[in-house]
Formats: sequence, structure tokens, C-alpha cells
Amino acid sequence: MASFYTRHPGRVLSTAIDKYVYVVVNRTPLIDKVSARYSVSETVSHPSELQHTRIKAALLDAGITSGIELASFASLPAKAGLGSSSTFSVALVKALAAYQGKKIDKGQAAEAAARLEIELLKESMGKQGQYTAAFGGFNVFQFNADHSVDVKPVLVDYKVRLGLEDHIMIFFTGLIRDAAGVLKEQEASAEKNFEVMKAMAHSVAKAQAALLAADFEKLGSILNEGWTMKKSLVSTISNSTVDSLYLAGLQAGAWGGKMLGAGSGGCVMFLAPIEKKEAIRHAVAVAAQAATLKDFKEIPVRFIQSGVEVLHDSDYERTTLS
Amino acid sequence: MDQFIKEFSGKVRATLQNLPIEEIAKAMNILQACYERDGRIYVFGNGGSLAIATHWVADINKTIFSHDLSEHTRRFQAVRLPSTESEITAWANDVGYDMVFAGPLQNYIQDSDVVIAISSSGNSINIIKAVELAKKYNVPVIGLSGFDGGKLNELADAKILVNTEKGEYEVVESAHGTIMHLITKYFKNYFDRLIERRTARS
Repeated sequence: MASFYTRHPGRVLSTAIDKYVYVVVNRTPLIDKVSARYSVSETVSHPSELQHTRIKAALLDAGITSGIELASFASLPAKAGLGSSSTFSVALVKALAAYQGKKIDKGQAAEAAARLEIELLKESMGKQGQYTAAFGGFNVFQFNADHSVDVKPVLVDYKVRLGLEDHIMIFFTGLIRDAAGVLKEQEASAEKNFEVMKAMAHSVAKAQAALLAADFEKLGSILNEGWTMKKSLVSTISNSTVDSLYLAGLQAGAWGGKMLGAGSGGCVMFLAPIEKKEAIRHAVAVAAQAATLKDFKEIPVRFIQSGVEVLHDSDYERTTLS
Repeated sequence: MDQFIKEFSGKVRATLQNLPIEEIAKAMNILQACYERDGRIYVFGNGGSLAIATHWVADINKTIFSHDLSEHTRRFQAVRLPSTESEITAWANDVGYDMVFAGPLQNYIQDSDVVIAISSSGNSINIIKAVELAKKYNVPVIGLSGFDGGKLNELADAKILVNTEKGEYEVVESAHGTIMHLITKYFKNYFDRLIERRTARS
């Protein structure tokens, strides 16, 4: 978050997974309305009347007022802690740029999405989610005091990538997170937590080295340290349910892990020896049952190298004339 | 005779010992991303470089899946540009030789694509024009160059420079051939591994 990186470079090691958000933008010159279709369907006369805050803010900012229909499709529920909402923002700004005949690159898409969420919608958050979704692949992002971002790809080969897939386990708790609340508290206590966050930023180099060496056990223990540090930041970041799932995984043999997203729900992730995975799966499911988590499920993931892109541009009029 | 043979092979060996490893790794990640989203790869060059491009297209489109062609229905879509002699001559004769690559590239280029440009000098105008078009579309460019890299090395996202003295075409092209084979072999091993993993799970 800016409250940190304006004082000390912020660093994250991140990767993209094979879960996607698709945004469709359709020009409707004969329908003088604005339509937004997601879990509900809205049709209004002006974007300012939309309930969907992101689509509303993005359209108003782009100066698009009528004759447009948008729809979104996602492979994960919102607020699961896997970055779906920032991914949605990246797809949205990229699609709207294409709609307006502008070609923006990955960095511009990430920045535009971050601006939408942080400046226009006043959400307390960092920019790592938007950068992860825009760029794809394994990267170290460094957030600098002048608000610039350095993107350094971590060049892992397929053996490391597939190896990590074999050792990772992700479980959705079924608890919808209140990321905003957690992040607000985190931001409010930024002063007190400055040293802890500095230590977390410094752990990135160690994590990167462990990843490149395919030392997943080491990576697991670094994650565990990081998660322990993160829990000390904010009281609401964890709760007894989340803790019970995490502990169950560790006791069943996981090397380490963390909660994904801002915490207090969302997903729990483990790195584990392959031969312990079945036992962990069982132990975490039992803990989830004990906590009566109805929507608990395992989310299989594969890592992908690709980021945001326009899949199809059917704007015949514009592309034939430009 | 043996002196000449030793000298030439020594030069090639020296370039191979100093390959830009990180840039080649970047190029392979760019190709991995392209495969995931089913994009196309446009490869081109002049003369011997065009021959390297054509050879690589056959390898990446077919040879790397050879161990189990029927299992791999999703394959790479590499296209040597221009893909027909008619286009080369039409663009060269009607518009100018500068446009033989950029012209046909404009017909195809999409967000999900990748360009591989091969030029020993890195300064062939027709190559640079096509690379500039790709940059305008934010399509990643893998640039294989030689000598001092020229403009291609400046513009490329993956800057695969085989650094030699000016005019060492044979040395540069030999190294380019090796790099393209290295890329081929990497993906061949990767797809073999995927099949193994699937077999182990079932």
C-alpha cells in the first residue's frame, strides 16, 4: 500500500493462476441505454445510476454515457481472496480502452485498474493484484516511492512450475472476506507495523531464491513466517476458523502456507510434500466440517504465463477505418 | 585447412558460451504465454534468417509434439511470414521491399500473438518496420540479432543478441540456429513431461 511504499520500497513475489475473468463490451448504437450484466442485470439511462460501483466509475471516467452493454464472466466467486476483483478491473479497463480504439500495454492496464480501485473508488489496497493479473507469470513487483512499479520476471522453467503445482494446495474457506475492513485497519496501523512490513518486503529475495531452486520446503517455511508476521499486523486478518484450518494443514504435514488475499476468510494455501497431500486434504476438510463451512472446497490451480489481453475485437467500422 | 576449421568452430563456440541466457528464458516464457492463450507466432528474416525461421516453424508446429501427436490437439501456431511467395513478390514489386514483412503481418496481428524477428545486423529496414508494427500493437517481440544488435536489439522485448564482429553472418546464423533448436527442445521436453504426468495420474 502507498502508506508503506512511499517510505520504503514494497516488494511482492506473485504469480497468475488458470482462473479467468472475461469482460464483454458491446456497442449498442440503437439502444440509448447503459446495460451491465453480472450476477444481476442492470439497464439504466446513465452510468451514474448503475449499482455496480466499478463499472459505474469506469464508464463515468471514460466519458461513456450511453449505447453500451457490458457483461462479465468469472471462474471464481468474488471475494474468494484470489484476486478476482482486481482481475475484473484489469479486464474492464483493457476492454474499455479497446472499445475506445486505444491500445494499452500491460503496465498501463495495471495502472488504470489500480487508479480505478484506489483513486476513483477510494479502496484501501495495494497494486499487486492488478499487476499480477495484467502481466501473468511469475514476477517480482517493486513499488517505489514515486509510485512507479518495477516488474522483474522470475524466470522459472517448466520443471519448477509443474513442481510447484504438484506441491501446492489451495482451499476456499467459503467465508467471504471483508478485505476493505482489514486493509483499512492495516493502513491505519501502518506506523506501528512499518518494521514488520519492511521485513516482509525483504523476505521476497529469499522466497525468489527458494522458488528458483525448486526448494518448496524452504518456500513453505518462508510463507509460514510471512503469514505469522502478517497476522501480527491486524487483529481482524485472521479468526479462529481460519486458524483452525491452517493448523490442521500444518499438523497433517504441510511445510507452510498462508491465507490468500487480505485474510479473515478467503482461501488457505499450503505447500506440502506430495505424499502428505491426501492426509492434509482430509484434515482440512474435517476442520472445515467442524466449523460448518458450507461452501468449503479445494481449488486446483495451474500457473499461467499469460496476462490480460483482448481476445476478440469485432469493431468492424473502427478497425477498417483506422 | 585445419586451421580454418578450428578458427571458425572456435568463434561459434565462443558465441555459444556467451549466450544471453536470461533473454532466451524470457523468450520461452513469452512463447509459453502465447501457447496458453492459443495465439500465433510470426517468424521472419531475410535470406538465411528466413531459412532458420522456416525450419523452426516445422519443428515448433509438429516435431515437438512428435512423441504423441494425437494427444496434443492444442499445438503451437507458428507462421513464417510472408507465408506465400506470391505475397513476397506482390509486396516487394508493388509497394517496396521494406514492406514484405510488415505488410503481411498487418493482415494477421492480434493481441494474443508474438513476433520473432531474425536479423544478423539487426538493422534490416523490412525487419524493423515489422517490429515497429508489432510494438504499436503491444505484441511481444523476440529479437534474434548479431554483431552489435542494431535497432532490433533495442526494440525487442526478449533481446537475444549473439554479439560478434560486424559481418560474421555465418557465425551469427549458426548460433541463431542453435538457439531456435534450444527453444524447440525445451518445449519438446515440456510437452513430454505433461503427457507423463497425465499418464501417472490416470
